[in-house]
Amino acid sequence: MRRTVRTALAVGILATSALPVRAADVVIGVGDWPSAQATAHLIKAIVETRLGGTAELRSGATGELWEAAGAGEIDILPEVWLPNDRTQVATHVDGSHAVTLLSRGVPARQGLCTTKQAAEAFDIRSVDDLRAKQTADLLDTDSDGTGEIWIGAEGWNSTRIEKIRAKSYGYDKTMTLIEADEPVAMAGIDVAASLGEPIVFYCYEPHHMFALHDLVMLEEPAHDPTTWTIRSPDEDPDWLEASTASTAWAISFIHMAHRTGLEKDAPKIAALLANMDLQPDAIEDMTYALIVERTPPEDFARAWISANADRVDGWIED
Amino acid sequence: MMTRLIAALGILALALGLAGTASAQSSSRIYDPSSKTWISFDPEKVERDATARGRVTPERFRRTLVPFRTSEPPGTIIIDTDRKYLFYVLPDFQAIRYGVGVGREGFGWSGEVEVGRKAEWPTWTPPAEMIERDPDSAKYAGGMPGGPDNPLGARALYLYKDGRDSLYRVHGTNEPWSIGHSVSSGCIRMNNEDVIDLYSRTEPGTKVIVLKQGAALYDPTS
Repeated sequence: MRRTVRTALAVGILATSALPVRAADVVIGVGDWPSAQATAHLIKAIVETRLGGTAELRSGATGELWEAAGAGEIDILPEVWLPNDRTQVATHVDGSHAVTLLSRGVPARQGLCTTKQAAEAFDIRSVDDLRAKQTADLLDTDSDGTGEIWIGAEGWNSTRIEKIRAKSYGYDKTMTLIEADEPVAMAGIDVAASLGEPIVFYCYEPHHMFALHDLVMLEEPAHDPTTWTIRSPDEDPDWLEASTASTAWAISFIHMAHRTGLEKDAPKIAALLANMDLQPDAIEDMTYALIVERTPPEDFARAWISANADRVDGWIED
Repeated sequence: MMTRLIAALGILALALGLAGTASAQSSSRIYDPSSKTWISFDPEKVERDATARGRVTPERFRRTLVPFRTSEPPGTIIIDTDRKYLFYVLPDFQAIRYGVGVGREGFGWSGEVEVGRKAEWPTWTPPAEMIERDPDSAKYAGGMPGGPDNPLGARALYLYKDGRDSLYRVHGTNEPWSIGHSVSSGCIRMNNEDVIDLYSRTEPGTKVIVLKQGAALYDPTS
């Protein structure tokens, strides 16, 4: 197809550059959390069934995907979370301009959750409770004198920020902050819910766990930007000491991003990304279908496109 | 923990005024991999204490069908090593919950593994360290045949990580009273009838999630 010919020509002209030769028109980066997988598969299916193109999925941790996008190896980042990815946006969007961040954002929430049952049975209501010895004892599953809280997977920007929040609120003294892959953490929540045992963990929405379990977010002071100073390890080796975040997360937004130049190389695909206006409940439904109902992602994406044909039509420009 | 457990069982036995009926054996020592020392072990007393409790698994650790909302597919095994439960995921948000005993030396990690192979009445081979310290166990250096005295019990599921034997097992035990406790030896132990039940449901390749809330992600090299 035309795009392939153009790519071949470009590679021939830029023979000394590091541009990879691709089997597909676009490469989509897939983060290691459920909604990123859902949106990536949906974009791939629309590109292939409605735009006559080809798309390849490439999985990786957040940092790896951003590096690859900055190097031009990945064309689409389906879910850029802000403020979480602020540092990478500063480098690859505002700095090198290698990546273009689309302005449309899907609202999202982040914080610490417990089950409604645990909140009521054990009176765990707010982040302030996490500093209390009584709560630490309740959440102490390994009898080491501190409670345990899952704060996210290793490598997530949110995990680093949750460490800062724990330090700022002071519950880093009463709790052990656990980093683990999300499926392992989710299984831990399933077990706690089944046994009626208390549990507190990092949570973000949209996410299928809110449909699977009756969850409540712990109360905390509303976000105040003057209380948030977030440094990354790249900016400051003593980032944890130099950072503070003693109020709730701001309302977060999920943006799409693509390689700068995609709008010229593949204008229809770029237009699709600019027009897609997925809502939080749609994303949550998608992750539930993929993760809980285990619908194969290709089947799910095709079915979703059929069921939402009018919406998809509105995203495609002739 | 072992000492406290035995002490607690002893108090219970006295309180109930029951006499032990176990076959007499002399007091001996067992190897505690946690402290890497040998500790006193009086099988007669343990038998007596277990008898006082009816030689059964505590009620809350008996096999039970429970509601279990999860995104893990049916057939997945989830082991909570802190709370001493093993869940076998069934369709329709249900699971079979079994009580387990956990070796104090085992599972200082959490993460995903899989059943690499399984065996009926498995052979048990004592670790080299145990053979070094206990000449009596040397006779089993080539493997102790499966049977009622074999510490692996009636069945064993061998847990593999990335295609390699992790050296951890889910296995049976002839000591049902030990379920629900951290005991001095061996991986994840289940009642023989429970491990036979689990074995019959499980095929190699089954996903196993091991939870230890206080531990980071599984890293076999650490």
